[in-house]
Amino acid sequence: MSSVESKTAKTLAALDAAQPQPVVALFAEVRARFDAEAAAAHDEVSWKLFRDAWLGRKSGVLTQITDNWLKPASPELKRAVGAALNELRAHVEAQIEARRVALEGAADETTLARERVDLSLPGVVRPVGSRHIIRQVFEEIERIFLQIGFSVAEGPEIESPYYNFEALNIPEFHPVRDDMDTFYLELPKGAPGQLLLRTHTSPVQIRTMEKQTPPVRVIVPGKVYRRDNPDATHSFMFHQVEGLAVDTDITFCDFTGTIEYFVHEFFGPGVKTRFRPSYFPFTEPSVEFDASCIFCAGRGTAAGGGACSKCKGAGWIELFGAGMVDPAVYGFVNYDAAKVSGFAFGIGIDRLAMLKYGIDDIQVFFQNDVRFLRQFP
Amino acid sequence: MKVVYNWLKEFVDLTAPAEDAASRLALSGTNIGGIEQGAQGAVIEAELTTNRPDCLGHYGLARELSAIYRLPLKPVAPKPAESAAKAVGAVRVEIQSPELCGRFTARVIRGVKIQPSPAWLRERLEAAGVASINNVVDATNYVMLELGHALHAFDYDLVRDHRIVVRQAKPGEKMKTLDGLERQLTPGICMVCDGDGTRAVGIGGIMGGTETEISFSTKNVLLECAWFEPVAIRRATRFLRLYTEASTRFGRGADPELAELASRRCAELILQLAGGELLAGVVDAYPGKRAPKKIALHRSEFLRIMGVDVPDKEIEAILAALGFAPVRVDAQRGAAGSLLAAWECAQPSWRAEVEREIDLIEEVARIYGLDKFPPRFPVARKAAARLPHAAAEERLRERLMGLGYREIVTIPHVAEERNELFRPAEATPARLANPLSEEAGVLRSTAAVTMAAALEWNLNHGQRSARLFEIGRHYRLQGQQSVETRVLALGATGEAREKGIYDAARAFSFADLKGDLDAAGAFAGGFRWQPEGGAWLHPARCGRVFLGAQELGVAGQLARRVAERLKLRQDVFLAELLLDPLYVAMRAAGDARRFVPLPRFPAVERDFSLLLADGTSFAAVARVIQSLGIAEASSIEAADLFRGKNVPAGKYSLLVRVLFQSPTSTLTEAQITDFSGKIVATLEKQLGAQLRAG
Ligand SMILES: [Zn+2]
Repeated sequence: MSSVESKTAKTLAALDAAQPQPVVALFAEVRARFDAEAAAAHDEVSWKLFRDAWLGRKSGVLTQITDNWLKPASPELKRAVGAALNELRAHVEAQIEARRVALEGAADETTLARERVDLSLPGVVRPVGSRHIIRQVFEEIERIFLQIGFSVAEGPEIESPYYNFEALNIPEFHPVRDDMDTFYLELPKGAPGQLLLRTHTSPVQIRTMEKQTPPVRVIVPGKVYRRDNPDATHSFMFHQVEGLAVDTDITFCDFTGTIEYFVHEFFGPGVKTRFRPSYFPFTEPSVEFDASCIFCAGRGTAAGGGACSKCKGAGWIELFGAGMVDPAVYGFVNYDAAKVSGFAFGIGIDRLAMLKYGIDDIQVFFQNDVRFLRQFP
Repeated sequence: MKVVYNWLKEFVDLTAPAEDAASRLALSGTNIGGIEQGAQGAVIEAELTTNRPDCLGHYGLARELSAIYRLPLKPVAPKPAESAAKAVGAVRVEIQSPELCGRFTARVIRGVKIQPSPAWLRERLEAAGVASINNVVDATNYVMLELGHALHAFDYDLVRDHRIVVRQAKPGEKMKTLDGLERQLTPGICMVCDGDGTRAVGIGGIMGGTETEISFSTKNVLLECAWFEPVAIRRATRFLRLYTEASTRFGRGADPELAELASRRCAELILQLAGGELLAGVVDAYPGKRAPKKIALHRSEFLRIMGVDVPDKEIEAILAALGFAPVRVDAQRGAAGSLLAAWECAQPSWRAEVEREIDLIEEVARIYGLDKFPPRFPVARKAAARLPHAAAEERLRERLMGLGYREIVTIPHVAEERNELFRPAEATPARLANPLSEEAGVLRSTAAVTMAAALEWNLNHGQRSARLFEIGRHYRLQGQQSVETRVLALGATGEAREKGIYDAARAFSFADLKGDLDAAGAFAGGFRWQPEGGAWLHPARCGRVFLGAQELGVAGQLARRVAERLKLRQDVFLAELLLDPLYVAMRAAGDARRFVPLPRFPAVERDFSLLLADGTSFAAVARVIQSLGIAEASSIEAADLFRGKNVPAGKYSLLVRVLFQSPTSTLTEAQITDFSGKIVATLEKQLGAQLRAG
């Protein structure tokens, strides 16, 4: 070692190597020395020392050869020295890399066993948030209707009787008011009118049509309130998505086509739809809309025999009410009932979520137990 | 209504099984609750919509089935034997309030024998869900269930002067109804009275009185079959909170023309069940007689609404079966399928709600079958738009979820007592006039109150750590107006980091809440914090959040006093921020955002370990450093903070990290030393800060 180091510290002239022959011999000597030392690099520490001894920028052997042999060499020798140095460098670099790979491959098995991760352990758990399931269902409904040109609108939850009832063709003492038990606000004495909590999102139909002329296509999500005693299927606050489309050429067929599209997008293409005539003061013809039961595929029988508990054996599940906008409603918003037509629907979001996810108690939505929230990531 | 299928067969020769009929009814507008088999055969539970009072009797549903199956409907034409004596001489009727009572018919049956009804009648009433009382009362109920028109039988001898006076109730008037309750009345309620009209013997169309009730000693019967104004009936039932079979039928609109027929049918039945003789004719006061309305139906309008045509024959058959007597009136008469075809229809007296062309269109469509109108997809003519703030709300929601918050949805009804704990003094609460309970008597004045309740629910159900947010509204009154304001509520409790294999536990603190809010505020250019919060917050751990000069809300730890009231046994952190100004600022900040070139020269960090008096804020330190005007001091941060060991009382230790950077050159050691020296000297001079060794 010392002989090589002492030689690379000297110039070629000092080594009496003025001809290519001795130069080649000198390089062969250095290379032999390198090969010998390489074998001695048996672990990471000795390999690093070995690498630095040969490739170190300041005092590595190759740097010394460059500084002491190549740079001062006579012009006639420079070419030979350069070629020999390049060859040596390629060899040294390749061998050092090969040595590293070999060392890593042969690393101590006990170390690896100690370091090996246990894949059955959890990773670091960072807190993650989630959307409420009501919100998720609404976003799905919004996506479906945005695709077919329905914009989103909203309106106040505290409404006047005019928007909640009268303008929707529900005058005072109309029998359907008995079915929509209503919360009223306590107002200061002398207040000119009443305020109530809207019993449906339909008032926003009126507010939307007051603001714009046809064509109108909106969906309206929001909270609605009915003064029902709470139980597993009733909450005095729940959520609806109102839909309204009014144009000069909308027919009942367009209405059923739109609803069918929605149901196929939401529940899947295999679901069948059915429209039953019904009655709402602000639509005519009015329908109740049913989808084939997603739990028994419309058969009405449960997998284990007996009637399907979700559709009570009917094979159909009542989804929501809808219909063609009653012409009387247009009178309240200065639309010409002889020229325009349209349809409206009111989807219960909570009910849809209960159906889709098999939730049997509506109250669980609003308790906000984190064990419930976690189930809908 | 319970519909006895065999009863329907008395009016239509139905051959289809009850299940088929029920299904066809359901698809033509009569909602079916179910079918049960009993001693009387199939009983169908029909849930009728309020617009179909005509179907509150078997005959009305038989008419529906006759239209559905195209089978003839048998007429009801009772011809009871009458005595020589006339009813006109035996009873007088005077309607003083024709606006409440449009028709009043009276018949008299003499010499009846009141006794229990025969088995066939009792069983049929029972199948229809009506209890049997005696033969005469049962006859009135039977006719009500058969024809859908309510009747009332009086004991003729107990009706003073054999005279009926119909008038509205007087202020303060009272009467005892058949159910034994004394009823407080009010003007607008229609009273059936006797004699000189002072004594009420029944509330018209709702319930009779006890004083003229049929009993087993009744010999002679006065049979009332009248027509009462529906809106007045609905007002009265709501005022009295008294809902009866009669009030349901009159309240939804009975058929005035049917009154005489129903009376005749009932008289026939009474003669059959109780014997006696029927006085000839009827006393019929009918001030409300209306001429039948004419309604036109045009094929062009049908097509415009429904989109698909229905053949002439179908239209005519359906309308005829339902009683509309359609007549082609257009010039193309006889040209089948003409687009110009028009029919004139007569409104049947039992279908007062069918008044317009659209009503006829619905009649045709529902019987023809809604499944015969093929679904089609309408073409949109305008681009769809989300709500103006939808994008900002979504970014905010995503950020909060990224920070580990779960979204909640709450019912805004809260107990006033709770609302008061959180309500800012200037906010007027929105109270309900008719709450379901005191626990839900007021709409929340802030979303903090419902957020606290959500955390409370979780703590009470063994969930000790929770991070929640809600995007909702709070509700207040401003004078006589309601104000709904979009707000964000945050709530957190328990561990910010749970103990696990890799980490130690760390409790959620005010700093977590502030950091999370600031992460959201970054979208809007950053929040500014000011001391103090609401009275419901811990006085030392709270702050007000601002965007520029606009206050957005408060954040902090729930005050111990409030936490104790709510029985919360661990620290709870809450915030409520206004969303509309935040959304506006988010949009503005987004529009104004521009790229800042990355620095080309290295930055040098210097730490200053300072000993400061308690109460000297980091902001004060930063301000002093900034006041030196060292342009190269590109950031000033608090890197560490501690009290206690080795720190004298009344002082705390703050490690301030200043980053020096120049956009034009690499800073030299001499420059850094110069800056540092100035900083230390100024902090010592202005804040009394001491530089700690090391
Ligand atoms: Zn099913």
